[in-house]
Parts: sequence; structure tokens; C-alpha cells
Amino acid sequence: MQDRIHTGMTLEEKLDVLSDAAKYDVSCTSSGVDRKGDGTGMGNCSKAGICHSFSSDGRCISLLKILFTNECIYDCRYCVNRSSNDIVRASFTPEEVCTLTMEFYRRNYIEGLFLSSGVLKSPDYTMELIYATLYRLRHVCRFQGYIHVKAIPGANQRLIRLTGYLADRMSVNLELPTAGSLRLLAPHKSRRNILTPMRLVQNLSEENRQEIALYRNAPRFVPAGQSTQMIIGATPETDRQILNVAESLYKKFDLKRVFYSAFVPVNKDSALPVLPGDKPPLLREHRLYQADWLLRFYHFEAAELLDEDNPNFNVLLDPKCCWALRHLEQFPVEVNRADYRMLLRVPGIGYKSAVRIVKARKMGQLTFDDLKKTGVVLKRALYFITCGGRMMYPVRMDEDYITRNLLNTRDKLLGGSDGITFRQLSLFDDMNFNGVDIR
Amino acid sequence: MRQIYICTDTITGLYSALHDAWAENRDGDAGISLKGRAQQQLFCQYKTVVETEQKARRLERMIRRYMGYNTYWDIYHALLSEDCEKGTAVFRTMQAARRIEDSRRIMEHLGDQDVAKVFAMSRSVSNEAHMYEEFIRFRELDSGILFSEISPKAQILTCIADHFADRFPLENWMIYDKVHEVFLVHKKQERWALVWGGMADADALERVSENEKDYEKLWQIFFSSISVRERENPKCQRNHLPFRFRPEMTEFAEEK
Repeated sequence: MQDRIHTGMTLEEKLDVLSDAAKYDVSCTSSGVDRKGDGTGMGNCSKAGICHSFSSDGRCISLLKILFTNECIYDCRYCVNRSSNDIVRASFTPEEVCTLTMEFYRRNYIEGLFLSSGVLKSPDYTMELIYATLYRLRHVCRFQGYIHVKAIPGANQRLIRLTGYLADRMSVNLELPTAGSLRLLAPHKSRRNILTPMRLVQNLSEENRQEIALYRNAPRFVPAGQSTQMIIGATPETDRQILNVAESLYKKFDLKRVFYSAFVPVNKDSALPVLPGDKPPLLREHRLYQADWLLRFYHFEAAELLDEDNPNFNVLLDPKCCWALRHLEQFPVEVNRADYRMLLRVPGIGYKSAVRIVKARKMGQLTFDDLKKTGVVLKRALYFITCGGRMMYPVRMDEDYITRNLLNTRDKLLGGSDGITFRQLSLFDDMNFNGVDIR
Repeated sequence: MRQIYICTDTITGLYSALHDAWAENRDGDAGISLKGRAQQQLFCQYKTVVETEQKARRLERMIRRYMGYNTYWDIYHALLSEDCEKGTAVFRTMQAARRIEDSRRIMEHLGDQDVAKVFAMSRSVSNEAHMYEEFIRFRELDSGILFSEISPKAQILTCIADHFADRFPLENWMIYDKVHEVFLVHKKQERWALVWGGMADADALERVSENEKDYEKLWQIFFSSISVRERENPKCQRNHLPFRFRPEMTEFAEEK
């Protein structure tokens, strides 16, 4: 490791620099694998994942998210670590990463390690360092907690394969939704280069599944599957394009998760857009995640949610409400009879409450009070369901009427932007009825 | 006359009370109150339960056998709740289970008031237990023991014990529940145990190991640098991580 600059840095300074550089990676899940400790080391994994803290931006902290190094030979325009930026550069040693992980894990600060890296010298060289770190962590420190690692595009296939046997999840960042934007903002990366390791991990996982079926104790390759992320709002794609990309990734590459990262302008660059109000497009990111959930858990197709006439999500209503409003002919549904898939499509009914409804109605007719207890959000669901043939209140099945009512429940948030500007009068309000301006 | 059984707020106590109530009043109306938290009512008879391990084991076996493991799980968690009426709700749930054809599926019967209550209590206790699996912070004492203090609403120590025992089999660790004054103790490569009424030397708990302060500092550095300033959202943070957990967490230590 003679190539490192700033050899004199303390561990504190390094952690500060390298966690700060890693924070734009959104993925911080520790889910997807259930593993008990074998009693010889430290750590276990739980299928649902465990968050250990929440930072002041409200995102969960589950893993020790760091870069191995923030030195990078690439010059991607959106990235804080691009080679042309003048920032403090630092690198960990494998030993340092292991000590930090083990000591944090012992104190129950974290659920495991998220190791990403800038590309130091070459993809192979970087991947080798990552492999060395994971090897030490698994076999010397006997760490059995969660490890999420990045596959560096362009690295040797054998290295990626070996690393995959040590990690729980691997990810390759798609960076930007289309090949065109990638060419524009990340000139050193190509779509093909990114998809190759993704395909490799997919194929190796498939092979591994066969091995495990044959030999129960065969080593597991990336048991929690692979994920990816893309940046939203740096390039002019519509929500529809993005959602279609996500859907095909789920279908063709068998991904576990696609993460969306609202573009945060860290660099000043002429190719990057200027954001309105200098705020990252957080609402857009939120709507994409909502739609992503509909794809993965609610049996929706991307084409159902958005079409050519509506290429972007509604700002005011979530994707499920929008879909329901456009398909009012299928509503209201009778809660006591509708099948599970239809229940899933009702706004205000989640997949947990749908399961509970299906079970509970075997025991007798459900009423609106019972629905509330199962966790249904009635203020949204009441426009779309009947209980025993009756709706909760008389509702006109009319798109405008329901839209207005759905929005009214959040009146405070919207401040009358839906055209209704009523407010409660109080005795001492000066409403200026005479039309005389007293100012 | 309605019979009310009075017991201590422990699993053994509640199981014993349920045992007696079931033996004497399974077809009638009965209530279970907690010692020191019972409100005297008219037209009720009060009786203090003799609590034994044997009664508790017998009742546990009965629930598991006739109501199934999943119902047992819910009832166990509900009985750890801080609600005073938990015993009565469980008793009535057992009565309701008797009336339906398949008693094992009683927890699906959410239309019943008492079943719904047991379900709600079980959910709230297991949720709180999960929160503590997330938010417990250990500090290393100079004796090498990992120590943590918590103040939960429900008696969640037994719910989190297996998780941490599996996670840190080679460590000596200890969790102290300040509200209910119970220790959860785990010795290296042994099973965990609950210790009531023990008192630890307050000074010994403050003497942390040599490196402890360094790692606390490192964790605080990580915690502040990982946040994206442009996305600041304290309300969201508060939703996921309520204020009541924070005094005992390392990363919020400065705000204390």
C-alpha cells in the first residue's frame, strides 16, 4: 500500500472523509438473508434486516457505510469523488476496516459492513483490496454479520466470484437510467460495462442455487441477491422510462432491489441541471419508491401505472390512488368477498391488512370497525370499499368528487391548492369585508 | 359475584392466576388484576393467587397444546405488556377459543373485542422489543463486559435475549431494565439468565475500558458525516427513532 496519499491521517479523519464520501449511496439494507451464528465468532443476520439508527436526514443507518478509498481514476460529473475535484483523499487499510466493523458491531451500533470504493489505479487492483478486506473479516475476525459489497465494473470475473462467496449482497450501480445519459455524465463508464458484472452475478447465483440443491453445505454465493441504484433528476428521463427500466431489471436480471437516489448537486458542472429551489427532487424519489413497492408486492405492472399520456407521477396523490381513480369501474369492492389480489389494489389496504382481512372474514362478516383494527387506512379506503353491501358514507363514484375528498384530508399540507379556500372564521379575524384596505 | 384473582406482574404470576381462574371459573366471569395496581370494584370477590412454577408450566402446556404455538406466542407477548387489564383479556380470549371450532385459529378472530386487545398488546410488545434490538447500545466496561441500560415500557428482556445470545456467543454481556429493575445476564458460551433484585456497583458500571471513548467518538463522527445535509428531515428521523430512546444512545449523548 505505498500508493496512498496522506499516510499520516488518523483513523478518525479517515472515517470522516470516507463515510462522507459514501453517503450518496442510498442502499443501506441488511435484509434478505437469515443466518444464525455458529457459536465460533460474532454475528448473525435476520431476514427482515435491522436498522440501528436514523441520521438527521431520516434515512436508516444499518450498515457501516464507507468507501475503501475515495481516490478515483474516473471523472463522473455527478460524483463528489471525481478525479478532477480537489478534495481530501484517503484510503483505509483492510485491517482498519475490520477493526472498525468488529468494534462497532460488538456495541450494537451496526448490522454489518457496506463497502464501496473509488477506483484506485485499476478496477482489478481495487477489487483485490476489497476481497482482501472481506477475507480477513470473515476468516480472521470470524465475522458472521451482514456484508454488502460493490462489484467494480471492469474487474476480473474471478475476483468478483471469489468476493461474492464472502458477501451477502453485491451491487453494481446503474448510475443513470439510460445509456444516453450515462455517456453524457459518466464518460468513462458504459452501459455494457455495467451490465456485464450484473449478468455475471445473476448467472453465478443461479449456478449456486443448483449446487445448494445438490449439496446442502455448498458455500453460498451472494445469498441476499444483488441490488442497484440510479440517480433521479440529473437527466431528463420521465418517471415512466425510469419505472420501465426498473421493471425490466427485476424481470431480466432478477434483482432484489432497485434504489432511486434523488440527485444532489455536489459539483458545479455545465452538464448538470440546476434544481428548482436548490432542493433534490425528494417527492419524485418518494413516488418512484411507492411505485416500486407496487411492482414488487402488489402485483402491478409498470404499464398500468404510467402511460404515454401520463409519463410522470401525480404530485398530490400516490400511484395506487391514481390507478384506482382511473379505474373506478372496478370499485367499490366488497371486502367480505373480493379476492386477495383485488384487495391489494384498494388504496389504504396494505398487503398485511389484506392477509388479515382474508383470514378474519372466514370467521364472520367484517364491519368497518373491524377493518380499522386490522390496520386498514379507512380515510383512503372508504371511497373504494363496501362492507356487507354498504359504503361507510354515501359516496358518489365520481373521479373529481373522490379526488377532492382524498385531498381534503390533507388540507393543511396543501393549503387550498386544490381550489378550495375555505377557513374557519373566528370572532376577531379581520376579514376586510367592506373592501377598505386598512393597511 | 365476580371473582377477581390478584397476582404479581410476572409471567409466573399471571400464568398461575390464569391457571386458577381456568380451574374454577372457566364457564363464568372472572378477572385478573395485578398486585398494587388493582382498583377495588363493587360486587367483586378478591383472592390472592398462590404462585407456583408448576401451575405456570401446566397452563403454558395447555395453551400450547390446545391453542397452538402462534397463539401461545401472542399470549406470552401480551402478558409482558404494561396494560393492567392484560390478564383478563387473555382469560376471555381463552374462553372465546373454547367456543369456536378450531381453537388454534383464535387469533384470526379479530372481530372479538378481547382477541383484538390481546393482538394489539402482543403487537405493541413485540414492536417495542424489536426497537430495542435495534437501538440498544453497549459500552465496554474495564472488565471487558458489554453493558447496556434501557427503560422500556413492557418487560421485553426475554424477547431480545435469544437474539443477542446468538449474536454475541463469545462475549460477556448484560442488559439492565431500569423500569422493572431486572438484569439480563449472558456469560461467555453459556445460556442467558434473568436476575431480579440484584444491585450492581454503580461505580463499576461507569468505569469503561481504555478504548471505549475512542469508539464512541468514532461512531459519533460517522453518525454526523453520513447524513446528507440537503435532505435534512428531523420529522422523519423522529418517526423512526422516537425521543424516548435517545438518552440511552451513544450518538445522541452530546444532546443530553
